[in-house]
Amino acid sequence: MTVRLLFGAVVLVIFFAAPHFLAEFQLFQVCLIAATALVVLGIVVVTGIAGQISLAQAAFVGLGGYGPAILAARYGVPVWAGIMITAVVVGAVGYALGQLTLRVSGHYLALATMAFTAIVQLAFIHSDAVTGGAVGMQMPTLEISGKTFASGGTLYYVVLPVVGVLFLAVHNLIHSPVGRAFAAIRQSETAAAAMGIDVLAHKSAAFAASGFLGAIGGGLLGLLSTYLDPSQFGITQAVYYLAVAVVGGMQSPLGAIVGSAVFVLVPEFLQAFQTYLGLVFALLLLVFIVLRPNGLVSLASDLLRIVGGKQQRGAA
Amino acid sequence: MLAQVLVSSITAGAVYALIALGFVLIHKGTGVVHFGYGDQVTFGAYLVLIGQAFIGLRFDVAVAGALVASVLLGAIIYLAFMWPLRNASLLARIIASLALGTVLREFLRSYMGPNAWPFPFLLSSTSVPVGGVLIVPANLAIVGVAIAVLVALYLIFDRTIYGKAILAACENSTGASLVGVHVSTVFLLIWILASVLATVAGILVAPLLTLSPDMGLIGIKGFTAAVLGGFNSLPGAVAGGIALGILEALAGTYVSSALKDMISYAILIAVILVRPQGLFGELTLKKV
Repeated sequence: MTVRLLFGAVVLVIFFAAPHFLAEFQLFQVCLIAATALVVLGIVVVTGIAGQISLAQAAFVGLGGYGPAILAARYGVPVWAGIMITAVVVGAVGYALGQLTLRVSGHYLALATMAFTAIVQLAFIHSDAVTGGAVGMQMPTLEISGKTFASGGTLYYVVLPVVGVLFLAVHNLIHSPVGRAFAAIRQSETAAAAMGIDVLAHKSAAFAASGFLGAIGGGLLGLLSTYLDPSQFGITQAVYYLAVAVVGGMQSPLGAIVGSAVFVLVPEFLQAFQTYLGLVFALLLLVFIVLRPNGLVSLASDLLRIVGGKQQRGAA
Repeated sequence: MLAQVLVSSITAGAVYALIALGFVLIHKGTGVVHFGYGDQVTFGAYLVLIGQAFIGLRFDVAVAGALVASVLLGAIIYLAFMWPLRNASLLARIIASLALGTVLREFLRSYMGPNAWPFPFLLSSTSVPVGGVLIVPANLAIVGVAIAVLVALYLIFDRTIYGKAILAACENSTGASLVGVHVSTVFLLIWILASVLATVAGILVAPLLTLSPDMGLIGIKGFTAAVLGGFNSLPGAVAGGIALGILEALAGTYVSSALKDMISYAILIAVILVRPQGLFGELTLKKV
């Protein structure tokens, strides 16, 4: 208990101290990592924990961005409320998509979610009147009780708490009976059903969670980039999010953070090689899925085990 | 009007059929669904372009060079990625094939630029009126090649001992190796064959579509065609491709050309849901 309190206190101190040490742009990057991690957290839940491959995450992110923007432009709904409403609706869409898993799994599921992403992207592009078509649309500025949050420095105080709370929630979900049921389904659907788990309901719930997380992440990413470009919500982007999850490690929420940090920060170090960025990311995904399918996090835990093993031997 | 739409749609359908044949070949032969196949098709066309524009080869020599290069590519894909992953989870294999496609696409984007390239037709692209309908020889070639590939593969799979060995190796690799089938050689040959087929498809398709790194997205259409046809049936893949081409053309003419792609993706989801065995395939039930 005291360890947890101490950990919480350290996190809070870092959270309030960071803005004093980091420049505006670095705070923006921290926000970008956090929002991307939230999107990828959705993949961790549905694919990493529940074992259902999903290429729908880019569509959820797009819906999560367009939803509040359209609600604000057409009905004057405040952006924060728009993001929440949209996230709940997209969660429901995710649940419906999860119902597909009754009949399909494996590569058919990958294909169906891929088609879903393609349809949603085409809908953005062809509904010119509502979404601005292929040109895209402006994301409205976040305003809460008269305060505007437009820069990395101010959004920091919104994005990080939201992402932090949701990560905590998912951490608890994974260690709850529901999360254990997800893991049981991943290992064997037949065995899970034999133990009395409602497989379809749980798979749908996992998709709903990934939709909800993806939509909130999409809303936050929209606030950060201030513009919604429909080309950012296609199958290519769905594979990108999958790559972040694989490189970080799909089995734990920590992997989502590690992967997002890698994918946001690597372009900074490779600024001279912008043209090769896509290739670098693709190669990272390929190398990791072949050599380290459980990502960077598993590398760290293996190292810890080696170090821990030595200590134990030393003690004995 | 309707006749012209149908004739043009059969060309598009043959394109889908050709790509669908590649999917089915790999799936039937090795049990893997290759999500990067569309990008491999694009890569094949670029191989010709690289030979022609950068090495300065004659077009026919460049085509031959591309075919040789694609043999290598198929061997590399199998030996470096699919063989090490043969015991990996389905999830890992799906992601790996997606990653392969992405690597090929991003390689082209980095080294050949994101813009479209002109690509020559193998045959004349001027249309000839036949009985009031305009027919393009180059398009006819696509239909012809698709049918020829279908017949060749069908004969190999259904009429030769090698085809039986391939099917056995895929069905039960332990059992097949017990009766003397060299499973890894069979899989290697399938990947090489599929890779060559991708290049052939790329060369035929590139002049019709725009040859850019994103041409590989056509893979989803090939996929839809394969699903329509049942994913394990070679004639089904061709029938599915033609059916998809006609459906799209009708949707494009009578509903809206903007909705054309959406309709074909919706068909994909609907077929997966309602008839996962495809319109022409048969259902295989796994008894536990």
